[in-house]
Amino acid sequence: MAKVDVIRAIQDHRYANSLTPDEWRQFANHPEWDLLAGEMPEVIAPFVQKYGDKLPFPTASTERAANPSLAATNFSVLGTRVRRLQGPGTVSGQGRYTQHIVPGGTLFMKTLRSPHPHAKVLKVDTSKAEKLPGVHYILHRGNLPKEYQDVRLGGGPPYRDLFNEEIYEVGSPVAAIAADSEHIADEAMRLIEVQYEVMSPALNFMEAMKSSTPKQWDNKLDGTTINVESPFKRGDIAKGMADAEVTVENVSTRATEQHMALEMTTSVGWWNNDKFTMVYTNQHSHGTRDGLAQALKLPQNKVRVIQPGYVGSGYGYRSGIDLAEVHVALLSKLTGRPVRFMYTREEDFVTRTHRPQFYNEMKLGVKKDGTITGLQGKVVANVGAQRASAASGSWYGIQHTYKIPNMQLEAVDVFTNSYKSGPYRCVSHPSGTLAIETLIDMAAYKIGMDPLELRLKNLNLTGNVDTKKPFSNPGIETCLREAAKVVGWKDKFHKPRAKEVRPGVFHGIAVVANCCNHGAGTGSATGSCIITSDGSLQVISASNDIGSGQRTQQAIIAAETVGIPLERTSIAFEVDTDFNSDSGGTNGSRQTNTAGWGMYEAAMDAKNQALDWAAKKMIDDAKKANQTLNVKADDLDIVKGEVVMKSDPTKKVALRDVIAFATGPIIGRGLHIQDPTWERTAFFAAACEVEVDTLTGTVAVTKYVSAHDVGRAINPFILEQQIEGGVIMGIGAALHEEMLIDQATGLPINPNILDYKALSIKDVPRTIDVVIVEHPKDYGVYGAHGVGEPPINPPAAVIANAVYNAIGVRVDRMPITRDKILAALKTV
Amino acid sequence: MKSFELYDATSVQEAVALLSKFGPTSKVVAGGSDLVTGIMKDWVRGKGMPYPEKLIDITTIPEMVGIKVANNALTVGAATTLSSIVDSADIKKTWPILSQSAESVASPLIRNFATLGGNINQRPRCWFFRGENFACYKKGGDFCFAVTGDNRYHAIIGGELCYIVHPSDTATALLALNAKATIAGPSGQREVPFDTYFTGPREDVLRENLLKHDELLVNVTVPQPAANTRMAFFKLKDRQVYDFALCSVAAVFTEENGVWKDGRVVLGGVSPVPYRAKVVEEALAGKNIKQAAKDAAGRIRTVARPMSLNGYKVDIAVGLIERVLTSALV
Repeated sequence: MAKVDVIRAIQDHRYANSLTPDEWRQFANHPEWDLLAGEMPEVIAPFVQKYGDKLPFPTASTERAANPSLAATNFSVLGTRVRRLQGPGTVSGQGRYTQHIVPGGTLFMKTLRSPHPHAKVLKVDTSKAEKLPGVHYILHRGNLPKEYQDVRLGGGPPYRDLFNEEIYEVGSPVAAIAADSEHIADEAMRLIEVQYEVMSPALNFMEAMKSSTPKQWDNKLDGTTINVESPFKRGDIAKGMADAEVTVENVSTRATEQHMALEMTTSVGWWNNDKFTMVYTNQHSHGTRDGLAQALKLPQNKVRVIQPGYVGSGYGYRSGIDLAEVHVALLSKLTGRPVRFMYTREEDFVTRTHRPQFYNEMKLGVKKDGTITGLQGKVVANVGAQRASAASGSWYGIQHTYKIPNMQLEAVDVFTNSYKSGPYRCVSHPSGTLAIETLIDMAAYKIGMDPLELRLKNLNLTGNVDTKKPFSNPGIETCLREAAKVVGWKDKFHKPRAKEVRPGVFHGIAVVANCCNHGAGTGSATGSCIITSDGSLQVISASNDIGSGQRTQQAIIAAETVGIPLERTSIAFEVDTDFNSDSGGTNGSRQTNTAGWGMYEAAMDAKNQALDWAAKKMIDDAKKANQTLNVKADDLDIVKGEVVMKSDPTKKVALRDVIAFATGPIIGRGLHIQDPTWERTAFFAAACEVEVDTLTGTVAVTKYVSAHDVGRAINPFILEQQIEGGVIMGIGAALHEEMLIDQATGLPINPNILDYKALSIKDVPRTIDVVIVEHPKDYGVYGAHGVGEPPINPPAAVIANAVYNAIGVRVDRMPITRDKILAALKTV
Repeated sequence: MKSFELYDATSVQEAVALLSKFGPTSKVVAGGSDLVTGIMKDWVRGKGMPYPEKLIDITTIPEMVGIKVANNALTVGAATTLSSIVDSADIKKTWPILSQSAESVASPLIRNFATLGGNINQRPRCWFFRGENFACYKKGGDFCFAVTGDNRYHAIIGGELCYIVHPSDTATALLALNAKATIAGPSGQREVPFDTYFTGPREDVLRENLLKHDELLVNVTVPQPAANTRMAFFKLKDRQVYDFALCSVAAVFTEENGVWKDGRVVLGGVSPVPYRAKVVEEALAGKNIKQAAKDAAGRIRTVARPMSLNGYKVDIAVGLIERVLTSALV
């Protein structure tokens, strides 16, 4: 069966034009398409504009009602501080994570991986390893069952087979071993003898994109360049630069980052006749199911995926499957035993996906009064050893935060034999924010204007000026003013290198604003709920909780919408594709407006049914008492779990009596069609203070303010934590985090928590002030806009600007390590 | 990790006998935070570094655990946890830099397991040494990947053949405190000053101290500081929990009216062994410390030989020496 290649279609118009109607149907149902639509809408925006009519999605002209949830007021649980339902299980150790699930007879898998970044596998000799007692099966290219030999993941060329013959990255799987214990599998792995033909790798992306770099596949582009995006043009860039009285230019870069989720990626799978079940640390159970079904050549109903509701984070790299999860399924099939695979920390660091490396070259033109006249830039992204797009993803905040009449942006994606890119919290957007916000500060300092004033003067408050889609109630100005106020901008801002707080230690301050298009919500917005015979509410949702409170949020939305107290509302922690309908991945910050909307519709459906039955019951009760009553569902409401007459709240019927009258529980079902009218945008601003020690090069962030327009805070308690967590990750990336490669061998050198220096709790600023701005959105459930990703977006930009303010010299290549600070200080 | 056999030794003699009997594939284990969850988990091995098959637990030897103060000296058993050292009021009062250096190690959870002996004798953290696929000199291979590779954290002083930095923070403090090690082997016990305890790569690239495979560190003895002793310790790290020294400085000296009489300045994180900065000490001899500190610290440049990416560590070492000397006077 020919499989449609989503990534290639997006990059290659000739291929997209060649797709048949049947392939377009496959395309719309493809898990990779779902992930791109949820996590990287900006990357696919040009594609959707061109091929949208081939896809079965509603357009702006589709008729739709106004957002009913916006009318709601007087909330009983929504907006209150609710603790995570899994909290006690998480802190007590009673919570059941994937790694705790070991069915009887489980075999343990280990993967032999390539130590070469580019090589051909000539021969795999497993004879010695097979003799080790306890080894059950060793799967490799040489004995892969015929029906799975054409199975591939991702786009191509170059392709990712279950076991590649030509290997493009360190960590590419060469053999998978199933044994009685992890130790035996670990030992057996080292008894396998592999003959490689070592080939020349491309490790440096700026070199790899040149024509002098040898091609690794039939590539029409230079070197290992994998995609050159059509340039984005607005207005007349030549005029924009000619109109400028002052121009500033900058190069900023970001390093390859890894998510470093605390729980290791783990799966355990088993077959029951012809049906495969997998428990898996994932962010999208249905996407995982669809991916497995595709790889195993099964219909979706023959694959069941369970996510236990206790997952040590995701941040983007757990939205679907990787090769190892297919290996688990095959080894389980071949041995007839459950098979479990827990990645080692090194495997989790190296073989899963990363935020890519970026190079931004930008020029900004302004008038002396601070009016921006034009911006010209080029973004290059290192997407690692696979076909992917990332560079154009960083355009969004550059395009939409400020009024810039003339703009031209280029984007190039380069393949290298190194860390694969993929969704990582806000993906490419933080790099765009770094690119433009450093320029804005440079321009402000150059024309002698307060950087806050320059930003306020140029904010775009209307919408997408290219597509004319409007923003809904944008809160960016409030965010910016609040962030500045909370950090104490008016009193604390000073000229560069003007405030020495201790000998050799300088104070710096900065404020930035920006936006991204995460948190929007996409399709598959489904949900269901049951009002049980005692009037309790049972919430059924496929919203995958990855630690950030998604299950709690679904319960809040359902309870608020139906009118049943949260204490009488329950939700299972697990997502099970056999019991739940797809509500999109927990990625793209979309669960609020995907599962949340589905749940709202389901709750409204249940409520309307309950009110219908209640009206019938009241009429029936009256009849039995020989009275006449004229009451309709519209006259009733559910308050604190009881049906009440709106005109006279003392007239009540207990829900359990309504359900008894209906003779069975009420089942609410929801499917929400998203409103495509709006440019759905997450607005935010950040401010920080730093102290830079010019002797050691240490940068200490002493105060950080993160202001977000969330539309409506559904659960402020978890919301604040989500923002704090994003800020901490973002500071880590700004100051320390960087996946490194030995340039001589191509081997990773810091794939562990010791050498990859994410912040410890003692490195976190003492003060992280969270400012929640609520400008309800027309498209949002109860006006909300998702906020999972945006907090990680501005830290690099605001810290780089604060470092400049402290020491008077720019360090815009992330991470801002002490060696870079000390080297920069030698130039002034 | 491969399965291994574990032996609970009950006396120093028994531990030595087991090491002698089993040969180089046997290793002493205490907390295991480096040996088991580092070296063995990550398969750090090579021609000169066999994979351990038999581990001899020394935390089961009563005389190797505990802190004693007697005869004007401190004795700490090698199997004493770092947390016990941090918690000791005696150590905090009289040998504060030992306490501080122990507290600067890793994280509270690791310090509850990790021992003094393990901290002193742990293997280096060089990312090439730790990588299974780098066959470097230290594992019996034929190359040092740091020479041409990413050496931002490597040695700036005393590297030769191999450019590791010694990872122990307590060793830096103990050398400054003029401590001694008690070593047990097949022929009995002997005392060795820390001045001669560590082995640089030019002497033997396969190890970092003088312990032979059938020897073990039993305890550490630290003399009572002389009157008018000043001391200070500072460890610079990129991350405040769970990180090794980028550069650390331990200074212990006697002074009179601010003038240097005698003492030691020891650097960690800069050299394959804890590095006694004699050039700095000599520049301070007989001088007013506050006035001479900057110039004396700068003398480190005369012995430093930075590599392609670690020149910044020289600047940091110079700055930190001055800061630590000054802070000891406060």
